Amino acid sequence: MPNNHHIFADGDLRRSEDTLRIDRLDGEPKYLAIENLDSLYLHGQVTFNTRALGLLNEHGVPVHIFGWNDYYRGSYLPKRSHVSGNTVVEQVRTYDDRSRRLGIATDMIAASIHNMRANLRYYNTRGHKFTDVLDELSALKDRAQTESSVESLRGVEALARKAYYGCFDVILRDPFELTRREYNPPSNEANALLSFLNAMTYTTCVSAIRKTALDPTVGFMHEPGERRFTLSLDIADIFKPILADRVMFRLVNRQQLSFDDFESELDGCLLTEVGRATVLDEYEQTLDETVEHPRLSRHVSYKTLVQTDVYSLKKHVLTGEDYHPTERWW
Amino acid sequence: MNENSNDPLEEYITAERDPHAEPIQRITGLMVQYYEVCKRELWFMSRGIDIDRGAANIRRGTHVDETSYRDKRRSFQVNGRIAIDVLDSGDIMEVKVSSKLEEPARLQLLYYLWYLDEILDIEREGVLAYPRERKRERVTLTAENRERIESVLRGVIGTVDRETPPTLEKKPVCEACLYQDLCWM
Repeated sequence: MPNNHHIFADGDLRRSEDTLRIDRLDGEPKYLAIENLDSLYLHGQVTFNTRALGLLNEHGVPVHIFGWNDYYRGSYLPKRSHVSGNTVVEQVRTYDDRSRRLGIATDMIAASIHNMRANLRYYNTRGHKFTDVLDELSALKDRAQTESSVESLRGVEALARKAYYGCFDVILRDPFELTRREYNPPSNEANALLSFLNAMTYTTCVSAIRKTALDPTVGFMHEPGERRFTLSLDIADIFKPILADRVMFRLVNRQQLSFDDFESELDGCLLTEVGRATVLDEYEQTLDETVEHPRLSRHVSYKTLVQTDVYSLKKHVLTGEDYHPTERWW
Repeated sequence: MNENSNDPLEEYITAERDPHAEPIQRITGLMVQYYEVCKRELWFMSRGIDIDRGAANIRRGTHVDETSYRDKRRSFQVNGRIAIDVLDSGDIMEVKVSSKLEEPARLQLLYYLWYLDEILDIEREGVLAYPRERKRERVTLTAENRERIESVLRGVIGTVDRETPPTLEKKPVCEACLYQDLCWM
C-alpha cells in the first residue's frame, strides 16, 4: 500500500517531469515517487504551484496542510476519481431516514465505546484497576442501543469519553497528565499530544473517504452543519482509541517523548518540531501495522481497516446490508 | 423459446432492434462474464458501485489487451452497448490474460456473436485468444450455444432487476476479486 509522506521543512514543492521535487531551504532537494504516495502532509511553510497540484491530482493524492501550532488548516483534495451521483443520493436518503440514521450512529458509538474499552482492558491487566470504568462503559454501550435520538446518543458518547479520559492520568507515565481534555488551544502536554494525534486520525479518515464516492460532509453521528467534514469526524471517533490514544500511551510510557518535546506559548502548549517528527514516526508505523482479518482472511494494515470501514458504510448505504464499524478484535 | 410477451429477453431484443429507443436495460459483455463468475459482482457493477481501478490485475488485463494482435484487429463500439474487436478475417476476437475463467470468457464472446446475429442480423464466428498462453479457440453460435446464451441473458436481466444484491457466498474467485473489501466488510 502507498505511504503517507510528511514534509516538515520550509521550501518549494514542484513537479519535476513525472515526479514531485521538494527544494528545501536547508539541504538537498528531495524527490518523491508519486506512484507510491497515499497522502502528502505539509507541516512547514511550503510554496507550490498548480503544476504540482496537477500531478497530485492525476495520481489522486490528497494534501493535508498543518499550519503554525500544528493546527490542521485544511486539505487539498484531488478531483474525484469516483463520481457516483447514485451513492450521494443514497447517502443523503439514509441520513434523512430517521431510523436508518439512528441505526448507523448507534453502531458507530457502540464501536467507539468498544474500542475505548479495549484500551482500558489492556491496561487493566497491567497493574491498573479499571474494573469500575469498564463496567460503566459496558453499561453505556448497552444504553446506546436503546437511545431514540442522535442527540441523546451524543450525550451517551460524551459520558463514555469523559469516563474514559478519566483513566488517562493513571495510564500515562509521570509527568504527563491529562487532568481535563482541553483544546483550542491545548492547555498542557498531554492535551497537545492528543489534539495532534486526533487531527492525524481525522486526516486519515478524510483520505479514506475520498477513495469512495461518499460525500465527506454528510455524517450520521455529527450534524452536517459543523465546519468540518462530518463523515470524517464520525469515522475518526471509531478509530481514535486505536490510532491516537494507543500511540499516545506508547510514546509517553516508553519515554519516547518528554516535556522537552513541547513548548508552552502564551496560552497553550504545543509540540516542538522534533516532538512532532517523533509522534508522526510512531503514528505512521502504527498505520502500517497489520492484523489478521477474520472476514477477509488476509492480513490488513490499520490504514486498510479505516478504508474497509468506509467501504462497509458505503455498502450499507447502497444495499441495506449491515454496517460493521471496526471493533478491535485482536 | 415460447412466444411470451412477458419474457424479459423478448422485450430486450425488441428494444435493442429499435436504434432510436432508449435501452430498457444495457447489457455489456462484462456483465455476461460477471453473471457466470459471481452474480453479486454483477449486481454491484450494474449499480455503478466503484472499485479500485488502480488494482494490479486490472492494469495487467488492460496491458495485455492493448498490446496483443494490435495490428490485426480493430475495435468497434456497437450501438454504444458492446465493444468488439474484429479481425481482418471478419472474425470477432476476445483477448484474455489467462484461461482460468474460460467459461465466462466464452459466454462473453457468445453474447457478442448473438448480439450481432439477433439484433443486427450479422453472422460471425468468434476467436477466443489467450496470447500469454499461446492458445486460441474457435467459438460458433450453434443452436445449442444460442439457447445457453439466451438463458444467461435472462439471468443477467433478473439479477440486475433485484432490489438488493444476491447473498454473500464464499467462492475461490473471492481471493482475487476487486469487490472483496466491499463484499466481506
